[in-house]
Order: sequence, then structure tokens, then C-alpha cells
Amino acid sequence: MSASQSAVRSRAEAVKVSRTFDWMILFTLFFIVLGGYHIHYMLTGGDWDFWTDWKDRRLWVTVAPIVSITFPAAVQACLWYRYRLPFGAVVCVLGLLLGEWINRYLNFWGWTYFPVNFCFPSNLIPGAIVLDGIMLLGGSMTLTAVVGGLAWGLLFYPGNWPIIAPLHVPVEYNGMMMTLADLQGYNYVRTGTPEYIRMVEKGTLRTFGKDVAPVSAFFSGFVSIIIYFLWHFFGRWFASTDFISGENL
Amino acid sequence: MAATTESVKADAAEAPLLNKKNMFAGAALYIVFYGWVRWYEGVYGWSAGLDSFAPEFETYWMNFLYIEMVAEIVTASVLWGYIWKTRDRKVMSITPREELRRHFTHWIWLVMYAIAVYYGASYFTEQDGTWHQTIVRDTDFTPSHIIEFYLAYPIYIITGVSALLYAKTRLPAYQQGLPLQYLVAVIGPFMILPNVGLNEWGHTFWFMEELFVAPLHYGFVFFGWATLGVLGIVNIEVASLSKLLKKDLA
Repeated sequence: MSASQSAVRSRAEAVKVSRTFDWMILFTLFFIVLGGYHIHYMLTGGDWDFWTDWKDRRLWVTVAPIVSITFPAAVQACLWYRYRLPFGAVVCVLGLLLGEWINRYLNFWGWTYFPVNFCFPSNLIPGAIVLDGIMLLGGSMTLTAVVGGLAWGLLFYPGNWPIIAPLHVPVEYNGMMMTLADLQGYNYVRTGTPEYIRMVEKGTLRTFGKDVAPVSAFFSGFVSIIIYFLWHFFGRWFASTDFISGENL
Repeated sequence: MAATTESVKADAAEAPLLNKKNMFAGAALYIVFYGWVRWYEGVYGWSAGLDSFAPEFETYWMNFLYIEMVAEIVTASVLWGYIWKTRDRKVMSITPREELRRHFTHWIWLVMYAIAVYYGASYFTEQDGTWHQTIVRDTDFTPSHIIEFYLAYPIYIITGVSALLYAKTRLPAYQQGLPLQYLVAVIGPFMILPNVGLNEWGHTFWFMEELFVAPLHYGFVFFGWATLGVLGIVNIEVASLSKLLKKDLA
């Protein structure tokens, strides 16, 4: 191979080739990250994400942000530090939501007939925008972890509030008080329905009046900071380009 | 670099850098095939997939399992054998243009891997969750498992290993050793399949209610993380392409 030879015939062709690779890389990155992020999220926070009667003010608010900040932190570690692209978190979350919506519609509804207003996914977009925004403006992993990670936890419940609020209004049914979301679950019996399996709001402490969501969100933000740090370094390792010799295998 | 009569003639005669027809045909193959699989699930999941002791379960689901396993072993053997057998033994001597063409072909493989990973890890895995929340399982080979574990996962394994083999046998960038992150991105998701052993063992020996976040499932999570190895692949590729195009883009 001669160093003087060129791979392309003209500058225009070089530009076209470069743009074509951009699209192929983006497509591949999007769908492979979607697959990895989705299997991770569905098996660590899935039950809270699948059903409205699991979307409580305590464990849903605590678990979902903690387990979902992982892939955004790792992908940011590559896209920002290697290419100064400030959309690592948003790409991850858009991928996850696309995978979830397709599934909830075609399979949860289309195969097993759970209505979509019972099994829609949680919204993670506000936290992702803030995470990328802080990375773009601050350019610092530490700042993004501390401020962005905390914001990721704190924004989760407000980001979902307009969607879930109508389902958290109280109703009386057969002499029992429950939420509309509970009533949905009562009517759509699943194998994971028994109350000892359905890990929703438990405990009696009510520091902030009747609502436990702020405490849960704050705790979630705290753990999200730690998880962000951890996964940032995971991301750096996965983005490295090491080669090993066959003898090492 | 100016276009001469000779170079224009050469351009007309040579194969295109990116064979778009192959790429779209490949993508269509996955999408149409999985569309048919989803239709099959919709029809025969409910009519023949509820009771594994029923004769119709054997007809519509166990036979599906046997056929797909044979088809996968044959496909993997033929495809991997072909890529290996036709390898370039003088890979370091190819022209820059040929190298660029091979990078495009390599990316067609990676686009197919992305589609296969999407269907395996996202579409059919979460689908399994809603099936088990609806039907109490009485066998390891439920309709959703026959598609998820024994069809969609082997397909992305076959595709991923093909991409890695193509890179290793035809691209100069991969001749300095075995690319660790590439291996992780292919072998990690591959390990999800053997992890089915743990899953079925747990579901067999403990009577468990259906909880998708159960610790028994964390093996799938751990190996799912390996998909992030795609970041390393992107970085190797961007470095190689930059080397090939830098002079012309400057």
C-alpha cells in the first residue's frame, strides 16, 4: 500500500464518504446502545416501568433514576471526551424510549392486550437534556456527575407528574380506598400481582406532609451521582481501543 | 487527485464503495423475517402455546424450536466458514481504495448487527416479560423463549461473529492483534445465551412468581453491558477512516 495513493478520487467524494460513515455509525451506535440499555433497564427497574400500579411515589421514584443513569454516563464519556458531541445522554434515552414504546404498543398491547394507558414507559427526557446541557456548558465530568446526577434524580418525578397525576387520584372501590392506577392493576391481573410481590409504597414516615416523593427523589439523586461516576469510568474503558495477542487468550 | 480520463474509466468499472443494495436487502431480510415471526407468535402463541403438554404445542412450538436450531447451526457454519475460507492472506498489501471499500462492507455487517441486537435484546426480551406476566409458565420452552432465547439471540450472535471475522480477515486496522472491545461487544452478548442455563435452572428449582427485576435475571444485565464495547469499535473505525481520508478532507 503506497502512502501517496488516495482512497478517494476527489475532495467531494471524501466529504460524501465521511458523511455516509457518520450516518452508518450513528445508526449502529443508536440501536446497539438501545439493545444494551433496554435489557439493563427492563431487568433492573422494569416492573416499575411496565405498570401504572407500580409507579408509586416512593420506590419507582427511587429505583428508576438510579438504574437509568448508567448508559447515559458511559456514552457521554465517549461522545463528549472523544468527539465533543454533547448528546450522549439524549441519544441513550431516545433509544430506550423508542424500544420501550414499540414494545408496549406491539407486544404489551398487541400480543397480551394490556391497554397502553396501563403500561406506558417512564419519561426520562428532561433529565437527559439537563445532563447533556451541564456537560456542554461545564465541560466537566465532576460537575456533570454532581449537579447533573442530582438533577437526574430530582427531575424524574416532576418529568412524569403530568402523565401519572390523573392516575394517582383516589377512588373508592368495593369499600376500599385506592388510586386509579391500583384499580387498573386490580382489573388487569398479572402473575406478578400479589401484594407481597408488588413492591410499592411502604413505610409510615411523612416528613414533608403527606408526600414521600421529594425524599425519594433526593435519595435517588444522591445515588445517581455515585452511579454516574462509576459508569463514566466504565464508559471510558469500553471506549478504549486495546488489542491483545492471540497467545493471551 | 484530479480526475483523469483513466480514473473516470476505472471508476465506472469498479464496484461501488458502498453496496447500498446489499445493505437495504440485508436490513429488509431481518425486518421481514421478524415481522413474520411476530405474526406467528400472535396466531400460534394463543392457539397452541398455552399448555406444553398439549399435542398442538409439539406441532407448532417444539417443531419450530427443532427447525430453528438446525437452521442456525447450518447458517453459522456456512457463513463463518465462508468468511474464513475466503480471507485475504495479503491484507496489509491492499490499496487505500480497497481498504475504504472493505470498511464500508464491514459497516454493513455492523448495521446488521445493530438490527439483530435491537430485536434480540430489546424487542423480544421485553416481549417475554409481558408474556410471562400473562401466562403461567409450565416449561422452559415457552413460545416467547423459543423466539427470544433460541432464535433472536443466536441470530445476533451469528451476525456479530460474522462482523468480527470480516474485520479480522480483511481489514489492516485489525491485524495488530485481537481488538478487545470488539471481542467484548460480540462475546458479551453471546454469553447471554449460556446464561439462559442459569435462568432456567432458577425457574425450575425455585417456584418463582414473575418478577422481571428478580436477581436471577442479573446475569442478562451484566452481559448486556458488554454492548457498550461498540464504543471501542467506533473509535477504532474512526481512527482508521481518519487516516484514509485526512489528506483529502484537509
